[in-house]
Amino acid sequence: MPAALPFPVVWVGLVIALLAAMLMSLTLGFRLYGLDQVWQALFAFDGSETAVVISNLRLPRAVLAPLVGAGLAIAGVIVQTLSRNRIASPDTLGLNAGASLAVVVASTALGVGSLLGLSLSAALGALLTSFLVFAIAAGAGGLSPIRIVLIGVTIAGLGHSIVEIILTTNEAQLQQLLFWLSGSFVDRPMTLAQTGGPIILIGAALALVLHRALDALQADDSTATSLGVPLALVRGGSFVSVALLTGAAVSMAGPVTFVGLVVPHAARRLVGLRHARQIPAAALLGAIYATLADVAARFLIYPVEAPVGAITAVVGGVVLLVLLKRRAA
Amino acid sequence: MTDSAMDHRISVDNLSLAYGAVSVLNALSLPILKGKITVLAGPNGCGKSTLLRAIRRLHRPSGGQVRLGDVDISTLNDRMLARQIGLLAQSPSAPDDMTVEELVRLGRYPHQSMMQPWSADDAAALDRAMAGTGVDHLRKRRLGSLSGGQLQRVWIAMVLAQETDVVCLDEPVNHLDMAHQLDCLDLVRQLNADFGRTVVLVLHDLNLAARYADRLVFLRDGAIAASGTPEELMTEATIARVFDVQSMVITDPVHGRPLCIPLRTQSSTIPA
Repeated sequence: MPAALPFPVVWVGLVIALLAAMLMSLTLGFRLYGLDQVWQALFAFDGSETAVVISNLRLPRAVLAPLVGAGLAIAGVIVQTLSRNRIASPDTLGLNAGASLAVVVASTALGVGSLLGLSLSAALGALLTSFLVFAIAAGAGGLSPIRIVLIGVTIAGLGHSIVEIILTTNEAQLQQLLFWLSGSFVDRPMTLAQTGGPIILIGAALALVLHRALDALQADDSTATSLGVPLALVRGGSFVSVALLTGAAVSMAGPVTFVGLVVPHAARRLVGLRHARQIPAAALLGAIYATLADVAARFLIYPVEAPVGAITAVVGGVVLLVLLKRRAA
Repeated sequence: MTDSAMDHRISVDNLSLAYGAVSVLNALSLPILKGKITVLAGPNGCGKSTLLRAIRRLHRPSGGQVRLGDVDISTLNDRMLARQIGLLAQSPSAPDDMTVEELVRLGRYPHQSMMQPWSADDAAALDRAMAGTGVDHLRKRRLGSLSGGQLQRVWIAMVLAQETDVVCLDEPVNHLDMAHQLDCLDLVRQLNADFGRTVVLVLHDLNLAARYADRLVFLRDGAIAASGTPEELMTEATIARVFDVQSMVITDPVHGRPLCIPLRTQSSTIPA
């Protein structure tokens, strides 16, 4: 059904929902805090244990989760438009697999151990994979939508296999790396947001600059070209945007899967197909989704934390099945 | 400028085009008359679609040029060209959940830029295109919910919203039933009459071509086999030469246009 709500209501509603989700992220968890304690920790830091926990452990999660969710959701919108495939996502392009592989290789072969080092490896892995997929697709005779997806799925499978082979022979490191292989916001320092945040903003800005061309790319290539869209330039720019967004997201949280697949669907239902609306709506919805998933991860197997990537994967898997069933029907 | 050059909105000059080693168009020349409907027809593989797409620069020629007025179109940038020549591709596609308005709006792409966001001009052109094609009432509908005939009207509205002097349509009635074929081509003729657009059509059906063309062009083997008015071209001899079909040509008693009744292929061994 077409969006029934007037747009101002949608936008205000999404922003309020995001703020509410971030407040939940600050207050809910193994320990419950009141809004007054959160206020005090953030704006009148007194060095108490509560204030330290809130500002060092809870605050980074409440900032990182929305950034990662927004980045992956925008990347998902672009990938689905580029591939003209509604079940494509950064995962389908093999970007998460590439990031995981880079982390495992950096850790086992190069001895990288620091969080920053591993996070940079992840970003680099996502970037390199996206350029690899792009180059193979372009070399194989053009960036046709189906080719991009087939190459991406192949690269993803290859990456996951190599990761498993390496980890099977390096059991000692499995425990340490498991954390990176399923995605999580636990124990991430604020510094990650300071490096990843600006990259997310650049990627999002690039996507927004391309919004009209992306609208036209939803039609077939002949139509888009007749409208005056420089196809190669727009596809290249879109790929850079996806690589920046996914690379930065993975560097902050590891592979949080299925966000990029599910959220664009919700965004389109809410605001339609024009990218000037679809991109901001997906960013807000993705931010809300990732933040709520992170809160849910704290209670799913309480008192132990579940990896947030497992939650988004379960929810995403169910949504994917529903989408596929509807398409088949 | 001479008078004849003024009348030629587009000139195709010695155009050659090849897919790899396979030559598709061979040094083909053709004037497209301003404000007229030109129909390209010919047997399968004759190069008619390729010629239409070359006129819109979707294919790069290996030799010769296409001129718009006095300008070689290969020197125009993407946006400038898209403001002059519109093309409705053969079997175009867009997402099923896109609304009619979202699709028709795409026609305004070449008129917008970062510095020129959606303007009152764009909104007016959108309204004109939807009203002109009679799809205004479908504005909020999803493409997936439309009938084939409605969908084709919406696509024509999108090309119309582009507000180009020249409109190219590649087999626009291919998958439509008889009623919608007539409906669609009547619409094209009305737009040509009301807005003075120069129209270039590729049509498969010879009788539809003869009915709607001001000027008919027959292609065969990448070259122009014949061109002229439908009356000049629709002769039994010419149709036999271009299509390898023996036919009888009569005058359509209703429209006064030539009508071809195909009898048998020239290579046929089955007795008629």
